[in-house]
Amino acid sequence: MTLTLLFNLGDAIYGLEIDAVQEIIENPVLYQVPRAKGVLRGAINFHGQVLAVIDLPDLLGIACVQRDHRRVVLSPAFKSLVLTVGNILRIVEIDLSELQPPPAHSSERAIRGLASLDETSVNLLDTDAIFKQLEDIYAE
Amino acid sequence: MRVEISYKFIIGFLIVVVSGVVVNLVIPYSAVPVEFQQTLAIACALVIGLIFGVAFSKAFTANIRRLTSAGSRISRGDLSEDIVLKKSSFPDETSDLAIAMNEIQESLRALVGDFRSIAFKVASSAQNLSGTSQEVSASSLQVARTVDQISKGAETQAEMVEESNRLFREVAMSINLVASSAKKVAVSAHQTVETANSGSALAGESLGSIRQVLAEVESSGQQMVNFVAQLQNISKFVEVINSIAQKTNLLALNATIEAARAGEYGRGFNVVAEEIRKLADSTTISADEITRLVVTIREEGQQVQSSMAQVIEEMESGREAVDRTNQAFTAITQNAVGTRTKANSIAELAEQQIASAERITRAIDEIDKVVSENAAATEQVSAATQEQSASMEELAQSAKDLSKMSEAMLQIVKQFKLIKQNKTDL
Repeated sequence: MTLTLLFNLGDAIYGLEIDAVQEIIENPVLYQVPRAKGVLRGAINFHGQVLAVIDLPDLLGIACVQRDHRRVVLSPAFKSLVLTVGNILRIVEIDLSELQPPPAHSSERAIRGLASLDETSVNLLDTDAIFKQLEDIYAE
Repeated sequence: MRVEISYKFIIGFLIVVVSGVVVNLVIPYSAVPVEFQQTLAIACALVIGLIFGVAFSKAFTANIRRLTSAGSRISRGDLSEDIVLKKSSFPDETSDLAIAMNEIQESLRALVGDFRSIAFKVASSAQNLSGTSQEVSASSLQVARTVDQISKGAETQAEMVEESNRLFREVAMSINLVASSAKKVAVSAHQTVETANSGSALAGESLGSIRQVLAEVESSGQQMVNFVAQLQNISKFVEVINSIAQKTNLLALNATIEAARAGEYGRGFNVVAEEIRKLADSTTISADEITRLVVTIREEGQQVQSSMAQVIEEMESGREAVDRTNQAFTAITQNAVGTRTKANSIAELAEQQIASAERITRAIDEIDKVVSENAAATEQVSAATQEQSASMEELAQSAKDLSKMSEAMLQIVKQFKLIKQNKTDL
């Protein structure tokens, strides 16, 4: 069983393993980054550390109007980044062994698999794929 | 020289005798033989006597004949000629007779003339009388007709008087009805005044009540405003609660993350953090519910406020209506007082009219009597006119008779000739 942070991106529910999350912060002061473009929304000061804020719906190409005022600070063990998501829901336990593979035709490459939770399905995100995608964008 | 007939006879006889004697004396001296002298003397005497006798008797009978024929002419009625005898040197009694007969004729002529003129006058008078009587008859006929018309008119008058009497009795009854109606109206007007007064008082009370209710509604509106302001406060508190719940939720989330990071040691804390998150969620739900309730209450409060405003408005218009009602009651009272006064005066007038009507009825009865008398008098006049008409007819008949009689008289008078006509009868 793995603890997973659930949030909305548009209509669908997405999940992020809690190991990848450092903390959830509320209304951080957002600093504009010069020449920032695309998914980079700016930077915040997190306990003296400057972290880039990335818009996850834009990064994944998911149509999502809503943005939570809370941000997800990722664990430095993975990547020192802050993610903006649609709406943070809660933290649930998901059995990774019962994970369904994502549909073959799915264009979302960053999804590890589908987990079912109380009649709804959760798209479990692949952090590595997300970082890969981010690197792809900024490598260009 | 006048010589009476007897003397003329004597003179003639004497002349005859004298001439016989003379002849007898003369003859002897003539050449006549003696034997014839006697015969001649007789013959001469006879001749002389015959000549004298014839001459004398002719003269005498001529006058007599004239007189006779004149007498017969007069007896026939011809008075046109005077009797004229032959001029004689020796007029005698025949001349006297002629004069006397002429005088008679003259007298007759005058008599006949007078008679004729009188007859003419009588005839013309009779004709005049006849005409006059006819005129009078025509007039009396006209009078009869007029009287007839008057009689009919009198009948119509009597009928009309009866009719007007009947109508007037109806009018009198109507006036009585009017009088009683006016009395009822006066009573009703009095009742109306009382009702309007009590209505006015009630309207005044209503006005007071409405003012009181208005004041209460206004204070309720103020309370409602205060209440809505209090709701604002509640909303603020709910916002605070909400933010606390959100922060609690965040803390719970982070606590869960921290607990997960602590591994097995953090598992119990994870449960606690989950419970805290659930509490925060239910707090949020409750806060949302409160917010929703506050919004609903606020909306309802606004509705109540608008309803109150409407109530105030309606009560204002109600107050105005009551005001108008009060004014209307005042006007009704004034009108009813006026109506009462008028109805009373109508009743008085009707009483006077009743008295007048009684007098008029009496007058109509008098008129009826007079008309009846008129009718009777007219009938009498009619009868008198008829009698007059009959008398006039009799008079006309008499005039006709008189005319006929005068005609006959004229006819008789015409038989007398007074003027000589172109040819001489004698």
